[in-house]
Amino acid sequence: MNWWDDALHRATAEVVLAGALAGLVGVQVVLRRLSFFTMALTHATFPGVVAASIIGVNILLGGVVAGGIVALGVAALTRRRGQDASAATGVLLSAGFALGATLVATQSGFSRDLSSFLVGSILTVGPQDLVTTAVALVVVALVLLAGARPLQLIAFDRAGAEAAGVPVARWDIVLLLTLEVVVVTMVPAVGTILAVSLIVAPAAAARLWTDRLWPMTALSVALAVGSGLAGLWVSSRWNVAAGASISLVATALLACSWLAARIRLLPARLAAA
Amino acid sequence: MIEPFTVPFMARALTEILLLAVICGPVSVFVFARRLSFTSDALTHTVFPGVVIGFMAGQLFAGALVAAIVTAVALTLLTAGGRVSDDAATAVLLTAMFSIGVVLVSRRSSYTSDLTSFLFGRLLTVTPRQIAETAVLAVVVLVALAVGARAMVFRTFDPAGAAAAGYRVVWLDLWLNLIVALVVVAAVRAVGTILVVALLIVPAAAARMLTNQLVGMAVVGTVLIAGAGYGGLWASWTASIQYGVALTSASSVVLLLVAAYLLLVPVRLLRRRRRDPVVPERNSAHELVG
Repeated sequence: MNWWDDALHRATAEVVLAGALAGLVGVQVVLRRLSFFTMALTHATFPGVVAASIIGVNILLGGVVAGGIVALGVAALTRRRGQDASAATGVLLSAGFALGATLVATQSGFSRDLSSFLVGSILTVGPQDLVTTAVALVVVALVLLAGARPLQLIAFDRAGAEAAGVPVARWDIVLLLTLEVVVVTMVPAVGTILAVSLIVAPAAAARLWTDRLWPMTALSVALAVGSGLAGLWVSSRWNVAAGASISLVATALLACSWLAARIRLLPARLAAA
Repeated sequence: MIEPFTVPFMARALTEILLLAVICGPVSVFVFARRLSFTSDALTHTVFPGVVIGFMAGQLFAGALVAAIVTAVALTLLTAGGRVSDDAATAVLLTAMFSIGVVLVSRRSSYTSDLTSFLFGRLLTVTPRQIAETAVLAVVVLVALAVGARAMVFRTFDPAGAAAAGYRVVWLDLWLNLIVALVVVAAVRAVGTILVVALLIVPAAAARMLTNQLVGMAVVGTVLIAGAGYGGLWASWTASIQYGVALTSASSVVLLLVAAYLLLVPVRLLRRRRRDPVVPERNSAHELVG
């Protein structure tokens, strides 16, 4: 029997890959405050995925197309002055979700698909999902490596980067599309809630430990992979939903980091008082 | 056009939507002005564990209420300060609370149908008791809004000024978060999370295209919800009776609201071209949460 034939082994591999993917892009999400956009992307790619599965083409393709439209739409909306990005993102989110739900409802037996879309089914990932995640991981890592310097500049000093001649708008679109690729790859395998949780929580925790980009990224990846593995163990040990336990472990790590940061800063604060 | 609503369950569904229109119009104006879209989305997810625990204890309403109040307090505290940025804190609270709910339901044998009804609600099976609960909460929300409106408007447009004038900004934020939480509790069981998020975000965003005045936005928002509610219920009735297409009523209401938003975008552009106002530039194109 092949090692890959065991569902738990495949889930472990997927958790490691997805964790690395989420940890990498999560740093940018936290620094650029894109959490709500990530949440909206997970919902807005939903109709694309459903439509693709109804037509019978690859669901990843549907997700990529729908997500691409949304990412470019948000980029266009936020470039116009005075447009409220928060409200526009909210409208996109509810529109995408309602459209997807309508499409699903026209098919029979839809409640199972919907809940697996939400909470994922990491224990049923196939070899196909693993390959997709691995490819996405390589691509995203290369893009982020190539863009590390400009993205860092833009994240910490947008006006300065613009003045220094960095093509800010182009890098914004690159970042949004990278995030979109990550979301589209992760959601079918792990579900929307876990995808958002794995992207945001480990990176936010890493941000509490260090202000420097490279250690932050490394720590974020390590925390994401770690919470994935720990969550899987908890799930198989106590027979609770895998996705939910992973995201709870990630949250617990963030809470511990927050407490640790408070304790670390305590002497400085007392000295200041 | 009136005939579907002579059937009792359709009449009840319409009553529920109209009640929600009265509260969601004004509340969505504050959600829009304070950029609380993500907070509203988070609240609709975080009441889920409360609904689950409440369902097990036979006190669904109380469970949802407690979870919503806990979230509102936690969100206010988390966003008031600290090194975790408020959008990340909101995202983490959302996923954590929702996961707790999923863990709780996943211990039961079949949880997919519970999740589905949580997402879509049961608009067509609204009971008179639920309408009564919504009506009571609507009165509470409107009174709370009327009491705090002046101070909250001040805080929205000039936080430093409000603080200098002696208002406690944190308490005002908590007040508004609690109002949004109450709306979510009032609506979520009847109409489901998808519709609640839309009702809190879309109406004011669409109304903003027509007018800059807060009261005007609230009125337009209420009218839009009432219209979309009526139209959505009618469309879903017609689709299933005459064409045999399963069109969920909640999502058709949302799609009509979004269609109204999209139709109003050109109006906004026309208005702007005519008057050409000075719009302050935001400092970052990607701060999606204010």
